[in-house]
Amino acid sequence: MKPHPFTMLVALGAVVGFIFATVSTYDFVIHLDRQLHGIHCSYFPGLGETDTAGTSGCHATLMSPYSSVLRGRFWGGLPVSLPGMSIFAFILFLAVDLMITRRQADLRAIGLLLATATVPVVTSVVMGYLSLVELGVACKSCIGIYAASVLAFAFSLALFIRTLRRRRGATKNRGGEEAKGAEAPPESDEVPRSKPAKAARRSGRHGPLRWGGVVALCAIGGAFVCVPLGLYAAIAPRFDQYVGSCGELSRSADTNRVLVPLGSSSSPVSMIEVIDPLCSACRALETRLTVSGLSTQVSRRALLFPLDAECNWMVDRSIHPGACAVSEGMLCAGDAADDVLAWAFEEQEHIIDASRADPTAAQRMVTERFPELRRCVGSAEVRARLNRALRWAVSNQLPVSAPQLYVEGRKLCDEDTDLGLEYMLPRLIRSARPAARAELPGPRVASSDENVEGVRP
Amino acid sequence: MTRVIRIAVASLLLLLPCLLVAIWVAGASSRLNAAETPGAASGAPEVAVATNADEEYCTPALKQILRRVLNSCGLISSGGSRGCQPIEARNVATMSGEHFNALFIPMMDRGGIVQFDLNSSELDEQDRSLIESVFAARRGASYFLVVSRASPEGAVEHNRRLSRDRAEAVLGYLEQTFRDPELEQQVGLLWLGEEYAQLDPSFCRWRRSGAETACRPEDLNRSAFIAWIDCRL
Repeated sequence: MKPHPFTMLVALGAVVGFIFATVSTYDFVIHLDRQLHGIHCSYFPGLGETDTAGTSGCHATLMSPYSSVLRGRFWGGLPVSLPGMSIFAFILFLAVDLMITRRQADLRAIGLLLATATVPVVTSVVMGYLSLVELGVACKSCIGIYAASVLAFAFSLALFIRTLRRRRGATKNRGGEEAKGAEAPPESDEVPRSKPAKAARRSGRHGPLRWGGVVALCAIGGAFVCVPLGLYAAIAPRFDQYVGSCGELSRSADTNRVLVPLGSSSSPVSMIEVIDPLCSACRALETRLTVSGLSTQVSRRALLFPLDAECNWMVDRSIHPGACAVSEGMLCAGDAADDVLAWAFEEQEHIIDASRADPTAAQRMVTERFPELRRCVGSAEVRARLNRALRWAVSNQLPVSAPQLYVEGRKLCDEDTDLGLEYMLPRLIRSARPAARAELPGPRVASSDENVEGVRP
Repeated sequence: MTRVIRIAVASLLLLLPCLLVAIWVAGASSRLNAAETPGAASGAPEVAVATNADEEYCTPALKQILRRVLNSCGLISSGGSRGCQPIEARNVATMSGEHFNALFIPMMDRGGIVQFDLNSSELDEQDRSLIESVFAARRGASYFLVVSRASPEGAVEHNRRLSRDRAEAVLGYLEQTFRDPELEQQVGLLWLGEEYAQLDPSFCRWRRSGAETACRPEDLNRSAFIAWIDCRL
């Protein structure tokens, strides 16, 4: 029997899905070297320019907490696109197997194909929701996977319905013909019921898939998923030696009150976040900290480091115009700095665009949104305080970049602020905990405002 | 035969992801190890380190003079009295008053001239506003200089005291307004009385707290010149 067009289309969907999942997995795995890489983001997988600026939806999705699982156990976690590859490979195998065994009208075999094809389509619905709703981005490679999943599922379903109808029709006919004393039609297209299975297999034909066969195929499917994942987990590089290896603050004392409190955690372990309220990487980091629950494990304070030449002499052009005014807003807000930061993260692009057109726009926007800060934002005092925050960065010889994280003065390597965050940050916190406890004076919460002798990276 | 084909297809499709993953992970591990090798060039671009500003006008000659002045006036070295008297300033600068003033010309956008009333060291509203504005625009500067003077009316000794009072009035206002614990290490005071480096009318173009018309030499020198110095010493 010739391959049915529906089977061919299921196979096509599996091939396309496999290719997209392969490109996504490649983009993920390449980051295990802890370096910066461009990410493929195209409806034509592997073709087109890679995203090196980190502005694409693919980048946001890949770096999001949803791109992998078990991030606390493995650096970066196990990429969800890897079982994606496996499942598409298995669907392809099932489709090809239908053709080889000539079971394209075997309801059980097609049912297994349909059940398998349901997995990527359900996953696509979940991932699509997370991408579009939670992350607010559209990732082209992911859309390719979603489309391939739908293609494979739709034609598996079509194949199943077709077979079901034919079977019902055959049952009806059989009923009629049995009444007339005629021989019943075969259950499968290829193999008449009366033919012994061995003889059928010898002639290249297989009998209907038995339950034992279903179990065997399910086991093979499990192997398709588990073997590559197990292999990945077994051979992925180890990263423990990098915990706390990126230097320390040499003068972490906050004598000038330049650090702004974030969150409400009263953990004895303190974390300083060097952030620019208009930097998209800082926003993404904040999302990762919140989603992973790590933000509640530390007492957080922010050092405002706006990459805006209006107040920051260390940048020769404003990378994020308006960031100085928003930073002033956070300093003015004090304990409510979280609210200003959340608003700034929400309105980042809007504030930057408006500030490009009108340098005073950010200050106006901050005071319109937070009228209670009107007298403070732009005042000489708060400008001087922001300047002291920048000078705190100078006295600690911080890199001119954002975001940066310091746990009890020890830096989380920049390479670990995205994919490796959930792996490295808890380890850094754990390693800082004994020191933080030792500083606890009785029942009071320890402060990290102690000068720490610096270890240069 | 079909069984062999099925096994071959299954094996191929199972091995393909495994093979790809193994190759990619091995590649990443090898790049990771290569980056660990001492002296290996990192693929990541070098990131600048936060530093104080060091503007073009900070020539070695200017820095040398600034260092001498700041050292002698109790700003860099700890201990000793705060502030620098005319004779000390002249001695450490080892230059004419005209050349001394010329040092500050490049700081025109960063400085201002706080003009006082005759025989007064009181700050009025305009003076305070100018001080706040100049001081708040610190950016990456390391030192804030207050160079106060007096016009020639009156006795030399009185003018010396008057110019000192003017410098200290500015410092007092900074302390009261900005409450910066590091102010002591940032602000350098020089009081020149009427004896050294008097300002000439070319300084009328600077930001001033006095009236537009108050620009005669005696108006300009009843003053405290204030500026941030964008030099790393």
